Amino acid sequence: METLPILSLILWLPTLGALGLLLAPRDNAELARRMALIVALLTFVVSLALPFGYRATPGDASTMRFVENLPWLPMFGASYSLGVDGVSLWLVLLTTFLLPIVILSTWDSVHTQVRNFQILMLLLATAMIGVFISLDLLLFYIFWEFTLIPMTLLIGIWGGSNRIYAARKFFLYTFSGSVLMLVAIIGLYVLHRDALAIGQPGYTGTFNFTTILANLRGGALQLDATIERLLFGAFFLAFAIKVPLWPFHTWLPDAHVEAPTAGSVILAGVLLKLGSYGLIRFNLTLFPEASRWAAPAIAILAVIGIIYGAIVAFAQSDMKKLVAYSSVSHMGFIVLGIFALNHEGVSGAILQSINHGLSTGALFLIVGVLYERRHTREMAEYGGIWKVMPVYGGITLLVTLSSAGLPGLNGFIGEYTIMQGAFLAPELSWPFLGFAVLGVVLAAVYLLRMYQTVFMGDLRNPENQDLNDLNPRELTTLAALCLPIIALGLYPAFAFEPMQASVGEVLTGIATAVAGR
Amino acid sequence: MEWLIWLIPLLPFIGFVLNVFVIRRERAAGLVASGLVVASFVVAVLAIAALSGLPEEERRIMSVSWHWINTGALQVPFGIMLDPLTAVMVLLVTGVGALIHVYSIGYMHGDPRVVRYFAYLNLFITMMLFLVMGNNMLILFLGWEGVGLCSFLLIGFWFERAEASDAAVKAFVVNRIGDAAFILGMLAIYASFGTLNFYEVSVGGQVQPGFLERVPEIIGQTIGPVWQPIALTTAISFLLLIGATGKSAQFPLFVWLPDAMAGPTPVSALIHAATMVTGGVYMMTRNEALFAASPTTQSWVLWIGVLTAFIAGTSAIAQWDIKRVLAYSTVSQLGFMVAACGMGAYVAAIFHLLTHGIFKALLFLGAGSVIHGTHETQDMRKMGGLRHAMPTTYWTYLVGAGALAGIVPLAGFWSKDEILAHALSHDHWPQLIILFLTSLITAFYMGRQVALIFFGQQRDSHYHAHESGRVMTVPLIALAIGAIIGGAINLPWGHWLTDWLKPVLHEEAGKFNLALALIATAGAVGASYLGWWIYTRNAAKIKVGGKDPAYRYSGDIWDGLEEAWYFDRLYRRIIVRPFQRLGSFLASVFDPQGIDGLVLGVGVLFGQAGEQVRRFQSGYVRTYALIFTAGVVIVLGFVLLFTR
Repeated sequence: METLPILSLILWLPTLGALGLLLAPRDNAELARRMALIVALLTFVVSLALPFGYRATPGDASTMRFVENLPWLPMFGASYSLGVDGVSLWLVLLTTFLLPIVILSTWDSVHTQVRNFQILMLLLATAMIGVFISLDLLLFYIFWEFTLIPMTLLIGIWGGSNRIYAARKFFLYTFSGSVLMLVAIIGLYVLHRDALAIGQPGYTGTFNFTTILANLRGGALQLDATIERLLFGAFFLAFAIKVPLWPFHTWLPDAHVEAPTAGSVILAGVLLKLGSYGLIRFNLTLFPEASRWAAPAIAILAVIGIIYGAIVAFAQSDMKKLVAYSSVSHMGFIVLGIFALNHEGVSGAILQSINHGLSTGALFLIVGVLYERRHTREMAEYGGIWKVMPVYGGITLLVTLSSAGLPGLNGFIGEYTIMQGAFLAPELSWPFLGFAVLGVVLAAVYLLRMYQTVFMGDLRNPENQDLNDLNPRELTTLAALCLPIIALGLYPAFAFEPMQASVGEVLTGIATAVAGR
Repeated sequence: MEWLIWLIPLLPFIGFVLNVFVIRRERAAGLVASGLVVASFVVAVLAIAALSGLPEEERRIMSVSWHWINTGALQVPFGIMLDPLTAVMVLLVTGVGALIHVYSIGYMHGDPRVVRYFAYLNLFITMMLFLVMGNNMLILFLGWEGVGLCSFLLIGFWFERAEASDAAVKAFVVNRIGDAAFILGMLAIYASFGTLNFYEVSVGGQVQPGFLERVPEIIGQTIGPVWQPIALTTAISFLLLIGATGKSAQFPLFVWLPDAMAGPTPVSALIHAATMVTGGVYMMTRNEALFAASPTTQSWVLWIGVLTAFIAGTSAIAQWDIKRVLAYSTVSQLGFMVAACGMGAYVAAIFHLLTHGIFKALLFLGAGSVIHGTHETQDMRKMGGLRHAMPTTYWTYLVGAGALAGIVPLAGFWSKDEILAHALSHDHWPQLIILFLTSLITAFYMGRQVALIFFGQQRDSHYHAHESGRVMTVPLIALAIGAIIGGAINLPWGHWLTDWLKPVLHEEAGKFNLALALIATAGAVGASYLGWWIYTRNAAKIKVGGKDPAYRYSGDIWDGLEEAWYFDRLYRRIIVRPFQRLGSFLASVFDPQGIDGLVLGVGVLFGQAGEQVRRFQSGYVRTYALIFTAGVVIVLGFVLLFTR
């Protein structure tokens, strides 16, 4: 394991595939899809080595594993350093798992410029994985921004009728948040360099996350409370827009409605998690005092998001928009868990990030299935579909219930753990949870309303009479998503287990802050 | 030994899996599904036999299979148990469940989705078993929501019908309201006790006490930073009570149950009469230690039960649909059980739960037989005189009705009497009076129903009534026997059930009150005779689509009873519609114009700022030179003045 740079392999395999696709003939769609699928599957298989090879015990100095470290821009102290820990492990796996599924779905949903689509998708995969495994702030930032480009193009080229507006909004909104983060990264770099230059003159500084963190915790770099809060705020804004936390969510429905199915799956499945991952990795870890200071306010936004997203989702007539707003609600739970600032909350948030990726990704695929057949996403156009598409109806029900948080399926485990964490947090407890559980009721309301309108009732619309049930490809993609949905619902302990040490590590700063108060 | 109890829920689950993935033929589906539930019943009997062989204090078999949730301090095992309380519930679920499975083979014959029906039914049994066997609150909740899901699937089984799909969603959503409170209750339990296990579990050699055993520790503690000094037990038990009002269809959340009758009739018998709806009563009985610690909650429990019994009982009088009478009657009887819990008479509650499970299943299956034999007729105005065409159904129905009315010596008499006697001996006078009145009403509407269905002349001649087949009548007879002798499990002289439950509930047998029993019996006989007499005398006045004879005297009140005191209308007006309006306001005004308006406003602001800045880019070199000079002057001035 020590010799094989496995993270680099996972990171660059999709890009290699994209380069290979450039050589492929432009209009051979089938070839492009197959090549992309093979690359994606290969990446997934390689990434399976991570959970099997990952071992960490509480009390380790660092829980980062598979670490790679190469100098990159030595004059600035930027390095090519990668690593994976219990926080990012499952997120990387989620990305590599969703990639082949998404590519498989393009057979049915992408019909123009297929090769270019696959190239962008593979590049996007590299960028997303890069965000999760970068241990260098500059490298992280570059991957972070690079995710925007393929996604914007995916929306802008393969999107719906209002795609240019949506793509521009997506790009500008998320970009404007990230710019502040860049300022914060540079600020942190400068502060760190200057602090250490006192002891060792001529120190060039570093962007290395682990080093900066060690110096922060070791006391070599001490942040003034105001500075810490400013830095926290800059990082937070970038991540809050990405999550999206209420009230920064308005780019999301537009982007989802216009994005092609595969784009929506990746957007909801992985891109939003960049935000929750960033909150855990940077805000909580680097700025524990500021996190504690801001937690109640952010938790209020999260709870508002939970309820607001659910109510707005209820009022939608477009299925995709409904699922998009449901993401606002669900991501509110995740942020609530993170800012519970305890072990249960954070590990629940990580698990719920995975769960949301699986079930919302599946929901977007499900909407895509109907859209490909009827070219409309208006719920009123449907009704009684269960009769003509029984398998599809059954799978949709399972996914819907997972999203609504039915015990025995994955969504419940995440939600419950998050709520338990938030309940145990002394600053949150009763009043916050009293509102948050309303989200559980409302989730059932809007999701079952969608299910009822589309699948139950009489089969009135004559155009729906001869809809075909799932084809083997669609069945494969959806069934592949259902397996982890059930597995994580019944035996989530295997997912929680590798997180333990790393979540503990994330929270050490906060624990010290509490103790020192 | 311990592995044996896993078979009880596992066998029906195997049936579910087989019916979903393997079986495609109706006959195989019915046989496999019924066979596995029967097998589960047999295993349960064996396990309980083994259980009763243990010394009284050790009667609890527990088996943990794996860590379910295991992160940080939150440890929840995936474990089940079998103790005396669970045992009686398991027998009810698998026993009545098996009979209803067999009955369903006949009732659902020829339905195009019958395989799926049996799959759902098997899943229901599995989930119900998890509900009663869970060794911690979260497993109980897994079953709790699982049966809710099956209820949704089975109410909406004929999903093409708008009223079925509406009722299914309504049932799930209303239950979810209770479930949210339940979740909050669990969070509070965990936060206060550090465990969700009911009783002590040894994990890896460490013995950890369950929260029920630790209740005395938290009395007097306060909740939250602000809400001092409310005792924690009150908060927790009240939240659990809200959960129970959802599942057990109590005031104010009972509105889903009458609509749930849109499902197939065996489903109504199994889920909405005998088993699932009693989940709330079971849960409160299991958490008896928590409830008993809070007199405040207990009086709420008592009054909710009493009010529900009365409201639903009066509503049952005015129904025309054969199943809706039984549905309201179920709500009313559940009210009796909840009231018993509120009085602290948990054994009486479980006793009534068991007998009610038998005779209400009998009544529902009888109603199903009537519906089946009259070609899907449910309106009692179209029936009449069916006792000749359907003798077996008639006699068994009579037994069920008598048991429900509380006529000696049928099962319902003993259990209801135990509740009333407890109210009397503990001086709950107002509650006793209302409950007694309700039991008279119960007898009255059963008399009315029997008269309307089986006596007089057939009022609609569009169908030819016939008796149902053996596969349906045999379960009826079996249940009728149960309804006759079921009371024997806890007679005032033997009180076997009280003794059996003693390790869990620690209750002494209540005293038998002969005067009360006599009055209750006389009342039951009188009221049911009155109901029967009024509706046979006035049978000629009942027309298809017409009004009830009593309508002449009670007028609008009758309408109010028929609509169950207008609760549905109230909720639609004060909750559903405002919520819809709020939703569409947020979605079509506030979100696009308020929040997104702000975002776009920032965009426009930058756009306009750009317009302004663009003026400087005029292309005139002299302008640039001027600005350049001004800039140089400012910078130089700054450097010279401030940075020395």
